Amino acid sequence: MSIPWAWFFLILATYPWLFVSDLVSSTLASSGLNYFITGAALIAPCRRLKRWQAVLFAGCVGFMFEAYRPIPNGTVAISLVTLAILLGNYRSYLRTHLGMIQAAVVVNAGAAIIWFTAAAYQSEGQTDIYNAIYQAVIQGTLSGLMGLVIIMPLATTQNWIMDLIGVPSAQDLL
Amino acid sequence: MSNHQKGAKASYIALIVFVLIWISGASALHRFTKETFAEFQAPALQIVSKGSDLARYWELKSRSNEELIAASRDLARINAALELRIHSMDDIRRENARLRENARYTSNSEFFTVVARVISRDSSSWWQKIIIRKGRNDGIRPGSPVVFSDRVIGRVSAVHLNVSEVDLVTSPTFRCTAFLIGDEKRRIVYVRGDAANSLSPSKAKVTAIPIDYNPPTGQPIKVLTTGLGGVFPSGLILGEVDGVIRMSTDDNYKVADLNPAKDLNMIEEVSVLVPQYPTANEILLAPSEKIKLEEFK
Repeated sequence: MSIPWAWFFLILATYPWLFVSDLVSSTLASSGLNYFITGAALIAPCRRLKRWQAVLFAGCVGFMFEAYRPIPNGTVAISLVTLAILLGNYRSYLRTHLGMIQAAVVVNAGAAIIWFTAAAYQSEGQTDIYNAIYQAVIQGTLSGLMGLVIIMPLATTQNWIMDLIGVPSAQDLL
Repeated sequence: MSNHQKGAKASYIALIVFVLIWISGASALHRFTKETFAEFQAPALQIVSKGSDLARYWELKSRSNEELIAASRDLARINAALELRIHSMDDIRRENARLRENARYTSNSEFFTVVARVISRDSSSWWQKIIIRKGRNDGIRPGSPVVFSDRVIGRVSAVHLNVSEVDLVTSPTFRCTAFLIGDEKRRIVYVRGDAANSLSPSKAKVTAIPIDYNPPTGQPIKVLTTGLGGVFPSGLILGEVDGVIRMSTDDNYKVADLNPAKDLNMIEEVSVLVPQYPTANEILLAPSEKIKLEEFK
């Protein structure tokens, strides 16, 4: 039986990772790219937390990402909540390491393209559509790569915390 | 239908309900959420910034006495030169005040300066901003100009309790009127940030350059603020025109790229010029009872 506040402890454990990715984005700001890992942070919690806990977790990390950024309110949070529900409903695909890695790449790249498009919609910047698509592809590819690189160490930290607070393992839930 | 399927169906329904509530929800709810999550992250940002200041302090403390003596000698020389300039400015200020008094012209374009350290930088195709370590508690207000020396860095876009967000000159939300050096008629041009391309330096654009403007040869074309609109004081450097000045697509005026006056990705400290009096924008947006008439006298 997982404890009701597991999602909150998991946010506290995940936040340092999100913060470091923000620092990397800050250090490499001249590249004009965002080193986004928030989507990848959903994978391990969606394997083990209850559906409502995973949804709360996804909503909070989404709101944290958009807090200091000019992205339409709630876009990232609602996208991540939707992805968390989808992952929770198809959690059997996340049983293997390969499944987790594939999910991290797809979810992270997908969420990045969603916020990039939403920011473009809100922005007053002018550029032609082909350039905007090209920029979205660069950001999406980078985010996919970030998901690929970060998923194992991030999931290890999150699993360690979930073990510590007594959340049942992914195998027990199936 | 299994429990898993029922749960899945319920979760989709809950999501649709939440999205509808969120879309139709009051803007106060959106603001509250944004502010809450921004304040949640602010202490971590502050700690990292202060840690970096501490590291710099210990690095400076490890310098030899000879280096410190040389640095203090250089500073003394710079101080002497600046004192001379301040004296000459004092004369100009007195003369300006006398002329204003004679002409019965009062101006509210006075600012107090808040110096702030840069905590982090955030850049994407659709925004370029920095977060600084001063906020509402230090008197910073949204819309205040942000400068480094006499160079424009950007404008405060959002203020939190102890941190503020600054839109840089290159950010698409930045707008400003300007003069071009070399234009004897002092005609107004328009500076705005532009959508940036990843992996290349971000730039702003100068538009509405008159067709008959002839750039001075052999020297960089500086772009200066006009002071119109009451946001930026006049005469601050926005940057230099980069490359050639070309015709706009509709052939009505000329356009050019603008290189910011300061390397915006390397800046560590800025000054926020907070207007001493409410700006026109604040007066229009504030409830009438909040504006005290005494403030304008």
